[in-house]
Amino acid sequence: MSKWKDHGLIILAGLIVGVCSVALVALGNPANMGFCIACFLRDIAGGVKLHTAPIVQYVRPEIMGLVLGAFLMALGGKEFNVRGGSSPMARFVLGFCVMVGALMFLGCPLRMVIRLGGGDGNALLGLVGFALGIFIGTLFLRAGFSLKKSTPQPKVEGVLMPAVAVGLLILLVGAPALLAFSESGPGSMRAPVAAALIAGLVVGALAQKTRLCMVGGIRDAILFRDFHLLSGFVTIFVAVLVGNLILGKFNPGFAGQPVAYVDGLWNLLGMVLVGVGSVLLGGCPLRQLILSGSGNSDSSMAVLGMVVGAAFCHNFGLASSTDGPTANGKVAVILGLLIVCVIGALNLGKKK
Amino acid sequence: MEQIATFHTHFGALEFQKTCKALGDKPKMMPVPRALSASCGTCVKFQIPFDPASMSHEDLDSVYAVDGAAYRLLFHNEEEL
Repeated sequence: MSKWKDHGLIILAGLIVGVCSVALVALGNPANMGFCIACFLRDIAGGVKLHTAPIVQYVRPEIMGLVLGAFLMALGGKEFNVRGGSSPMARFVLGFCVMVGALMFLGCPLRMVIRLGGGDGNALLGLVGFALGIFIGTLFLRAGFSLKKSTPQPKVEGVLMPAVAVGLLILLVGAPALLAFSESGPGSMRAPVAAALIAGLVVGALAQKTRLCMVGGIRDAILFRDFHLLSGFVTIFVAVLVGNLILGKFNPGFAGQPVAYVDGLWNLLGMVLVGVGSVLLGGCPLRQLILSGSGNSDSSMAVLGMVVGAAFCHNFGLASSTDGPTANGKVAVILGLLIVCVIGALNLGKKK
Repeated sequence: MEQIATFHTHFGALEFQKTCKALGDKPKMMPVPRALSASCGTCVKFQIPFDPASMSHEDLDSVYAVDGAAYRLLFHNEEEL
């Protein structure tokens, strides 16, 4: 009973995230992409014309829902705590690098789990890389890595990201002519706006309440042998797997998986970069988004880094496609690994 | 008395743990209980009586006494806006 009390909510949250993911695909989102923070931020970057890749342009309401769901839950729980100023530029660059890794793999850690639940074997390589990256990140933490403490900020600093989310929603619904919409490819595959927004709101609220984090699960298991956050991660996988089995959409294998490719090395290395960068940021892309809606302007910097990173990935041919990784993308991932490790090494705390 | 210290950074928890060890305690680093914080940072569970003058540092957030499943605030590091 006590275990259920301790872990019940995060397991329930994982279940709901999994069900929402499967439902959003059934309602029109790309296969194995009910949620993907990296892909959706990339689509938004395209939707507002920061890049012009025609197949990935759409202002995804799920993202605005996640931010606003977290915002409302934090307000309701009196946990809207406005803080910031903890190495904002390092966080921006780390966010940028995490996006380079995610678009090499073709998905954030949440989509990695969703891909696994759809039977995509390539995501197994991603999972190995992700765990390896998190392990490397924990070595930095053990060595005293710190981006220094944040400080209390004026309320407006914390409200701006939710305000941006509202602004994007207004544009999407009220002035779509100003935005770009893909006519083919993943960006053209979308669940109805209301369904996507509601799913985002629900998942955002639950993720704020439970601190659901793909990186935190493996990090805490490595650092403390604590499996609380990991239970949410595992539950999402189980829920997506069962959902896909019920709908007949479980398709095990490596070749021909939706929005994926079969080059194991680069699936792995992309997620190594995501893992290291996310540990240094303190959480996965989903967690950064949730914190950005909860008053944490440092996480907002990481999110902005991811958005700009996504634009660069498509403007400079760094993002992979179903054909596989690009030469530019491989160089960018190696550089990204170098950059996150240098940021890690230069921020090792000194003994007091 | 069992106490839990929360921090603004993982590094702060690491340093506090070292301080406790130097004072002869057997501290334990662990994820912050959800009841204490919406953040997913690291806290330190320790036994020796908390002395703000010698044990506090700028990365320390708060110290709580653990009373069964309840937590009682003992110390909060005040910050200015």
